[in-house]
Amino acid sequence: MNHGHTIVVDLGYGDAGKGTVVDWLCAREGVRPVRAVVRFNGGAQAAHNVVTPDGRHHTFAQFGSGTFTPGVRTHLSRFMMVDPLALASEADHLRALGVPDALERLTVEGDALLTTPYHRAANRARELARGAARHGSCGMGVGETARYALAHPDAPRVADCLSPSRLRRALTALRTRVLEEFPLAEVPPVEDCVAAFTGFASAVEIVGDPYLRRLLAEGPVVFEGAQGVLLDELHGFHPYTTWSTTTFANALELLDGADAFRLGVVRKYATRHGHGPFVTEDPDLAFPEPHNTAHVWQGAFRRGHFDAIALRYALRASGGADALAVTHADAPDVHLCTAYKGFDTLPVHADLTAQESLTRALLTERPVYTGKVSSPADAAAALGLPLVLESHGPAHTDKKALSLI
Amino acid sequence: MGSGTWSTNVYDAAASYRKATGASAFAHSDSGARQVHEALDPLNAFRESRDGDDHPESLAIAVLFDVTGSMRTVPRALQTKLPNLLGLLQRKGYATDPQILFGAIGDATCDRAPLQVGQFESDNRMDDDLGRILLEGGGGGQMTESYELALYFMARHTATDCWEKRRKRGYLFLMGDELAYAKVKKAEVKRIIGDELKADIPIAEIIRELTERWDVYYIIPAGTFHGDDPKLTEFWRGLLGQNVLFLDDLDAVCETVALTVGLAEDAIDLHEGLDHLAEVGSTAGAAVSRALSPLDRGAVARTSAPLDLGDDLPRGTTRL
Repeated sequence: MNHGHTIVVDLGYGDAGKGTVVDWLCAREGVRPVRAVVRFNGGAQAAHNVVTPDGRHHTFAQFGSGTFTPGVRTHLSRFMMVDPLALASEADHLRALGVPDALERLTVEGDALLTTPYHRAANRARELARGAARHGSCGMGVGETARYALAHPDAPRVADCLSPSRLRRALTALRTRVLEEFPLAEVPPVEDCVAAFTGFASAVEIVGDPYLRRLLAEGPVVFEGAQGVLLDELHGFHPYTTWSTTTFANALELLDGADAFRLGVVRKYATRHGHGPFVTEDPDLAFPEPHNTAHVWQGAFRRGHFDAIALRYALRASGGADALAVTHADAPDVHLCTAYKGFDTLPVHADLTAQESLTRALLTERPVYTGKVSSPADAAAALGLPLVLESHGPAHTDKKALSLI
Repeated sequence: MGSGTWSTNVYDAAASYRKATGASAFAHSDSGARQVHEALDPLNAFRESRDGDDHPESLAIAVLFDVTGSMRTVPRALQTKLPNLLGLLQRKGYATDPQILFGAIGDATCDRAPLQVGQFESDNRMDDDLGRILLEGGGGGQMTESYELALYFMARHTATDCWEKRRKRGYLFLMGDELAYAKVKKAEVKRIIGDELKADIPIAEIIRELTERWDVYYIIPAGTFHGDDPKLTEFWRGLLGQNVLFLDDLDAVCETVALTVGLAEDAIDLHEGLDHLAEVGSTAGAAVSRALSPLDRGAVARTSAPLDLGDDLPRGTTRL
């Protein structure tokens, strides 16, 4: 197996444990040390939980999950939606945990979009207006950031933080448009945002396009995905999706032809946070979940049996993976779903109308169980992938590598 | 998955960033450095742009910007944008084998770093020089900086194959918002560059010498302290003719430099260049168009012959 670049992607609905896998990749000894973790989709709504062997816990949202390992850098690529406000409090927490230099190890690409309090206000107003038909949004404004940028080329970007006048222009236009649509939205004055965002620009290193090429040449890089393939903006079950590409695609584009190992991550059982299809859901599976609780914007945390149908679909939709990592290997046995009543395989479209009718079908589908998943090997066999890593607990010392990864 | 773990309070974030003193693009500057990085020190230095196996048609391009306080946030913004310059020049064939040098200009009469000059590089190593540039943020408050020292260095301390082998002039872009001192002072040259001069050199004379081998442009960015002062435009027009450009969107700095080279190299006309910008999805077109309209084909100064400058230059104040 490779000692080069690795892309870590969750094949399901998120929450599989990408953070803990990335932490392990960066903390390993006896291999070429990882130079940096690169974020290549989503934004500050990511919540990748990492626990150190000495018991410190951090939920990584924008910093790479390798940050506990000294010297490992984080690079937020142009595909990331950067939230400077959440970044500051995350850095404060890392400092409190004894990681004082997280901001100094951070680089941010100037072209990345900014997520602001104005996006957040619009996101929440929109979700409230949907009432019962909620999509399970996180309320962080990430989707709104993507939506707004599609409609408005003057959407604020990271590089704007270097120029107060440009930043002021972009934020004023954004705030005005949000208030036009949602007159009651609570939004801070532009000047208060300018102060915080210019502070961000002076505290972090904002870089241009060529930086990543150099980084890739300097040593192994881990690409840390956010959310999961089954939430992908195109291949997820529309409209219960995220506004970002959750497959390997963005990472491969950033690699620009450089070689990388595509690692899929799944739990031994299935989970879903918030609304949307979940064929193998089983409310009786009451496994402990220390870090994921019901969320005011996203709804309940749901559990289900191992869904090989949905995961095989995720692999086809994302062009396949090279190997599998299975987390929560210590969980009790679950059923193995190898077909639904109405589907042996799920068709891959790249068309939202087709996706929507698939979603409608899946909301009432029933699973067909043909066996058990009692070990990570069962999960890997069901997906036809080599198993390279199993995780029995939250710390990197709880991982077992099954081959040279 | 999302839960918005971290507080997004705008006031806490502002306070947190005020406390944090992270590294920045200007790592050398922000590490608390107080002197010119040795790699950029002009003392007894010489900078060469030479042909090589993989770049047989080298073309020297130098970008020197003012890093004193009146430029406000401009130097930091330039630092994030300029790394894209090389790719932009190469993608559209504006220049076959560009070699880029970055440098910075301060005030010899009161700054720690009156002149910083990197190396001509054909790949992204020039970004490292950008990172080593010490940001002054001081300046003399006189609306005058030591551009004449930079001009002197470029005139007498550079050698380029594009000139020596092909009689093609290189491109020198100065970016700033101030006047130069009226003379290259021998004492400063001795202290900062190391040469023994018999006498001071009037700035018009050093410009004449410089423009034999270099096409020289002065770019005035909007949003700087003195950018709107008519005195500034008059001064540089007097020295460089129409090669004085106004840039109202800093985001467009690379495009402006790249298209200026493309126009002067006869690789394109302005219209084609703007089409290229649109193709790559750049939104800089309007700003570049305004900046470069005086240089459209047929109007580009080929000789850069400075106007005859009498003795009516503004005088810098020499402080003790």
